[in-house]
Amino acid sequence: MSKSFIPSRSLLSSFSRSLKYDKPMQQCLRLRSINASCRAPAPAPKSFSTSSARPYKTVEEQRSRYKSGPFSYRAGLLFLTSGAGLIIYFRYEKARMERLRIAEATKGVGRPKVGGPFELVDQEGRVFTDADMRGRYALVYFGFSHCPDICPEELDKMAVMIELVNGEGGKKGLLPLFITCDPARDTPAVLKEYLKEFHSGIVGLTGSWEQVKDVCKKYRVYFSTPQGVKKGEDYLVDHSIYFYLMDPEGDFVEAIGRQHSPEQAAKIIGGHVGDWRGK
Amino acid sequence: MGFFGTTATSPPPPKISSDGAPIAPDRTQRAKCWEGRDAYFRCLDKSGIIDSIGQKDKAEKECAGEARGFEANCASSWVTYFKKRRVMEHQKAQTLEKLRTEGAQMMPGQVAPGGPGQKP
Repeated sequence: MSKSFIPSRSLLSSFSRSLKYDKPMQQCLRLRSINASCRAPAPAPKSFSTSSARPYKTVEEQRSRYKSGPFSYRAGLLFLTSGAGLIIYFRYEKARMERLRIAEATKGVGRPKVGGPFELVDQEGRVFTDADMRGRYALVYFGFSHCPDICPEELDKMAVMIELVNGEGGKKGLLPLFITCDPARDTPAVLKEYLKEFHSGIVGLTGSWEQVKDVCKKYRVYFSTPQGVKKGEDYLVDHSIYFYLMDPEGDFVEAIGRQHSPEQAAKIIGGHVGDWRGK
Repeated sequence: MGFFGTTATSPPPPKISSDGAPIAPDRTQRAKCWEGRDAYFRCLDKSGIIDSIGQKDKAEKECAGEARGFEANCASSWVTYFKKRRVMEHQKAQTLEKLRTEGAQMMPGQVAPGGPGQKP
């Protein structure tokens, strides 16, 4: 048996060699029973790579790929832009959440409510109520026209803020209000004369002593104006020097003090105005 | 007595608005008042006077001319206010200086979140 097998094997292998160049796979399949060492032809005999074949079209492509590893300029650029985008987005969200927190902090239960219904008269003599404030943000300032130094400074600041915030938005953005703490001297005509020096957009509000005391109380403004002062009497009035930012629903958002520059204040206001989407 | 004489001790009476109330000093009047105040305070600085109400006699002797200029351009309530404010600011500066020598450090920003309704 064994003797007769040997010659036939060498014969077969020479036959298979001649066949190899035509249909190697087929030949392997056919000879598997006889030749255990038959393998599928390796694509690159010198390479010891264990990974399966990658679809490189040329050797050059493969080489360059091998040199740079899994990175390329395109991948790097994509990584950097998406990273930068995420950082910008997170910063924006963080600032927005901070503003939201400030705005919400003044709305919660048990918080002192700032603002509320009032009825006053503007510098043209028209009735102006809290309903006229609705629908847009309002910047409320309390003062009096016979104020020596702080109010004029603050009103000049207010004018810059109005210009910065309403610059592009026109009338839509911010409604500036000046409420007098000194109704005896600040009549509509006096306010008109006084406010036109600062900004044409500021609405000056006055009223009776009781009406002004009421609105000051609602805005938690210190009110020390004596009742029933005589005409021509010279006196000063103590008052708070905060700007009150009120949202389009008439809720208090944030107080802006003297420590803020007009640019900082405009940034704060602009941020809140930009956040508003209506509730 | 001073350069300006004793006649101009208070600014001219304010214009009366159409609804009968005195119109507040405008921008130029305010600027004039502040100029008068600054000149007066410069004189007080030179004489080493802080409280021109408490040291009335000395202030009157040293800075009579400037005082008349100050009073001529500002309402009397403003004059008193600025004089008191000068004392207050001096005390504030002194307190800060004292704290600094004691080794206190300035904290950046506000001391506390300023609530509405807070007095200046």
